Amino acid sequence: MKSEKLKIASVMKYVVFLMIVVFVVLMLLYASGSSRPFSEVSEAVSASLDTENLTEQDDTAFKRNFGLNAADYDGVMYYSSEFSISAEEVLLVRVADSSQVQEVTSAIEKRIDSRRNDFEGYAPEEVKLLDDAVQSVRGNYIFFASAPKAGEYLSVFSSSL
Amino acid sequence: MLFSSITFLFLFLPIVMAVYYIVPFKAKNIILLLASLVFYAWGEPVYVILMILSIVMNYFCGQDIRDHEDDPRKAKLAMIFAVAANLLILGFFKYYGFLVDTLNAVLPFDIPYRELPLPVGISFYTFQAISYILDVYWKKAQTQKNILYFALYITMFPQLIAGPIVRYADIEEQLRHRKINIRKIGQGAELFIMGLAKKVILANTTGAVFEEISAMPAGSLSVLTAWIGVFAYAFQIYFDFSGYSDMALGLGKMFGFEFKKNFDYPYISKSVTEFWRRWHISLSTWFREYVYIPLGGNRCSVSRNIFNLMVVWTLTGMWHGAAWNFIAWGVYYGVILILEKYLWGAYVDRLPNVVRHIYAGILVLIGWVFFFSPSLGYSIRYLFAMIGGGAGIVDAQGVFFLYTHWLLWLLAVAGSSAFGLKLIRLATRISKSRRMQTALSVIVYIGMFLISVAFLVTDTFNPFLYFRF
Repeated sequence: MKSEKLKIASVMKYVVFLMIVVFVVLMLLYASGSSRPFSEVSEAVSASLDTENLTEQDDTAFKRNFGLNAADYDGVMYYSSEFSISAEEVLLVRVADSSQVQEVTSAIEKRIDSRRNDFEGYAPEEVKLLDDAVQSVRGNYIFFASAPKAGEYLSVFSSSL
Repeated sequence: MLFSSITFLFLFLPIVMAVYYIVPFKAKNIILLLASLVFYAWGEPVYVILMILSIVMNYFCGQDIRDHEDDPRKAKLAMIFAVAANLLILGFFKYYGFLVDTLNAVLPFDIPYRELPLPVGISFYTFQAISYILDVYWKKAQTQKNILYFALYITMFPQLIAGPIVRYADIEEQLRHRKINIRKIGQGAELFIMGLAKKVILANTTGAVFEEISAMPAGSLSVLTAWIGVFAYAFQIYFDFSGYSDMALGLGKMFGFEFKKNFDYPYISKSVTEFWRRWHISLSTWFREYVYIPLGGNRCSVSRNIFNLMVVWTLTGMWHGAAWNFIAWGVYYGVILILEKYLWGAYVDRLPNVVRHIYAGILVLIGWVFFFSPSLGYSIRYLFAMIGGGAGIVDAQGVFFLYTHWLLWLLAVAGSSAFGLKLIRLATRISKSRRMQTALSVIVYIGMFLISVAFLVTDTFNPFLYFRF
């Protein structure tokens, strides 16, 4: 009986350790941030954007639409449509430290709600874009896209890290 | 979830306490375990999986050591695997980024790497797991056969995210038998409220002063402002961490557990050696029991003892964070403790008490500069400002901080010595009637609780320094 128990504990400790290793690898692949400089990540993302519909905006537009100061963060890249009747926009933020993640994700949620209120009732396709908007927090990087190719942009963001 | 949050105080804690007291004793550990997992998952929904896996691995490691108790070589190998696996996990999350950053600083090219946030409380629960493994290996404690009890030891929410680090041998018996009575619940509630007030009223307020001063460039600080800054930080970290420890001890008592105290008025110390007997006692005890003594402690040559002390203090610095300033802080204390032990300790003991207090105080404050600085360079610039290398001796800013916060400084001095507690006790013992004393005590503590809640509701500045360790 004891030798059977011995085997179980001896084997299980390695099995669970291996599970921890797998967990860490999965975290690194799908949930990690990156030490890559903001300029490299933003360059990769902006190169993939459909610039016919999206135009790069300045810090004032970021402040106006999200209520946040770009100077508080390590980097901000914000694209939105020139036309107010479009819900298309893409945001990339690198926070200075993890305590800022919450305020940025809350601001994005508020922005989605406010845009939904703007379009509800007369522009269902824009509301659909907002419903299908993607958000991703990877370490100190936060990505948000509300666009027909949002999924594509998200993959570019993930692979640029 | 923070203890000093409205969600914890008015939702989580009342529900857990109500269920815990209602259920029969046999179910209490399970309720506490479930509550602890929810508490952790509230802030770390993904890393709760890592903690559970770590619990299961350590449980089997403990069993494996016991299964090999007749074969010392195999038992030793099992112990080494368990300790190494724990250190590897902790090391990866805590030091991997630091190591690559250090390499990047010296290499001619940059190695990009994936960053993972540090799981909250990993330093605390890993040290508890190692304590279990070593206590079982040294036969100071029995192997825990019930995995739920073992999981409770690792995850117990009062001490999960910021300690105190509970040694397994100290709590083994309490996991099976402990007394829960109204007296203990009352004592626990008193301790909890005291800790909450320390954290919310004193730590957050002194912390706000430090935030303002540390936001200024070190070179622009006058001597007065620089000293006020370091005093503010010393009070913030003390009230922050000892307040959290008091809350943990209080909660433990309310659930029937007795944890050893973690702080014993460290700022009244007359030497640095004494300071470390009074500051973060559970961490010092852990390093003494599991590193210093196994290395040979002081029962060896002077040179070996110096080596042992330096190892322990470098590790203590590293435990606090993966940055050079923390390592410098640990080495700084290692050197001072060695000098006190072998060079000037006996002379210091002969000095008048006032001089000894000033001696210990200045060295501890210098230590805090290394601790709070974002880089070694900043700490040197800050220390330089403290001796006049900044913007003169006194400036309007320093006088403003001193003058406008005079009551805060008085409360902080009283609260960091036994005087504060004496004052509270004095207030409750104005009357000779025992009933009246009880009533006054209830009024004083409820008053402290309500003031703390008012601070929580109105003040958005509620950081917790030891969370990141």
